[in-house]
Amino acid sequence: MTNIVIDIDNVSFNYGAVPVLEDISLKIHEDEFIGIIGPNASGKSTLLKLILGLLEPDEGTISKFNHDGKDLRNYIGYVPQHSTFSRDFPITVGEVVMMGHVATSSRFFRYSKEETELARQVMQKLEIEDIEKRQVGELSGGQLQRVLIARALVCQPEILILDEPTANVDMRIEEDIFSLLKNYSEHMTIIVVSHDIAFISGYVDRVACLNRTLVCHNTESISGKMIEELYDAPVKMIHHHH
Amino acid sequence: MNEFITALTEYTFLQNAIFACLLASIGCGVIGSYVVVKQISFLTGGIAHSVLAGMGMAYFYNASPILGAIIAALVSSIMIGWINLRWKEHEDVLIAAFWSAGMAIGILFLSRTPGYNVDLMSYLFGNILLITRSDLLLMFLLDIVVLAFVFIYYKHFLVSVFDEEFARLRGINTEFFYILLLCLISITIVILIQLVGLIMVIALLTLPAAIANQYVTSLHKMFLLSAGICAVISVSGVAISFGPDLPTGSVIVLTACTAYFSSVIFKQILSTNK
Repeated sequence: MTNIVIDIDNVSFNYGAVPVLEDISLKIHEDEFIGIIGPNASGKSTLLKLILGLLEPDEGTISKFNHDGKDLRNYIGYVPQHSTFSRDFPITVGEVVMMGHVATSSRFFRYSKEETELARQVMQKLEIEDIEKRQVGELSGGQLQRVLIARALVCQPEILILDEPTANVDMRIEEDIFSLLKNYSEHMTIIVVSHDIAFISGYVDRVACLNRTLVCHNTESISGKMIEELYDAPVKMIHHHH
Repeated sequence: MNEFITALTEYTFLQNAIFACLLASIGCGVIGSYVVVKQISFLTGGIAHSVLAGMGMAYFYNASPILGAIIAALVSSIMIGWINLRWKEHEDVLIAAFWSAGMAIGILFLSRTPGYNVDLMSYLFGNILLITRSDLLLMFLLDIVVLAFVFIYYKHFLVSVFDEEFARLRGINTEFFYILLLCLISITIVILIQLVGLIMVIALLTLPAAIANQYVTSLHKMFLLSAGICAVISVSGVAISFGPDLPTGSVIVLTACTAYFSSVIFKQILSTNK
């Protein structure tokens, strides 16, 4: 058994009087690629925010274990679902990717050679080095997603958390992004939130189905009955052939 | 125009005015860019107007009005920032309260100060032609303070302004940088008050940067371009107002508005012809 990196223990969370998550327990292991799925408003993004520490649970605890003794700031990389910045913000792709260094970088204007080199390598892997000088507001949905993933990877995280990374991109790019994540998952824990069960089950090691409570977190393939339970309605299974 | 250039060689007050424009443009270009990209022009207007409270008190106690302005601007920006961080959903009401309370306090103190204050009119509406050497020195020092902070914390400000959530996750103290930014804005307001007065200061903190934003892809380029635009606009304002003896602050503001709308239309034409 590999090390546990995140231990979510009996966590509940409410927005005011509205219960969003109830009694969630989930252990996430080192280098695991886990998908969290569920319908809209099932609390998926809230669970991520709790893991990230942006929200505090009302009940229960979330423990994070740092096995490599790495700088805690570099522990988690996060790729948000909605980018909140305005489209005409004057910033280039390269500058956004370099932001991954901000916590550890020196003061003043310049970045070091090593920092620039790491960003260049990540951009190459994500095939965005050609658009380095472009303003982020001009990018397509898929390009922007790659830029945000690159920024998270530049943080050199042990755990990468992505919230609906393929919500605004077409099928072909969705496949690209997931096979890329699959490669990274060999030496990195990856948690990805999605509403598309059928698609991500081809890539992830394990799926946790969330609808206010945790319905299942099995390693095995998903049955029609589980989906029924999750979405409260019969759902047709779609099989992908890769 | 020739008349203006001849006058410029003869009169020190005009030379001082031009220096003031150039010094103000530095703060205006850098801090105006943050105001525009963070979309806080209304908040900036609120800080600018609350400065009157400090000036009014300074007059009443016979202290330096510009010192009163600096203190009032810093106090109100820290208060607005701090309350705003804890009470986000009512930001516009909060600004309106500070805006009007600042003006009201200022007027109360002034009404109790004997004599008619000509100087005060120039702080409200600007009178660049009255700027002295010591004003210029103060503007220069305030510029240095603003530039030093922006230069040291460029990366931190950039990430906090661009993507606050990401900044927080990276361990950046975004609340500190938010309030620091408001303080830098308030210092810049004091620099600019000498030019156009506190009522119109918002024009110079938004319009030149908004013009620059249409042509650049990076924040540091926006600093340079909007400082340049601000310099051209304010110097032109002085030159245009000199001949017919118009209020300089108003002419500078109208020049800025004209430049902004021309740029928007120009951009529109460019994009339809693409």
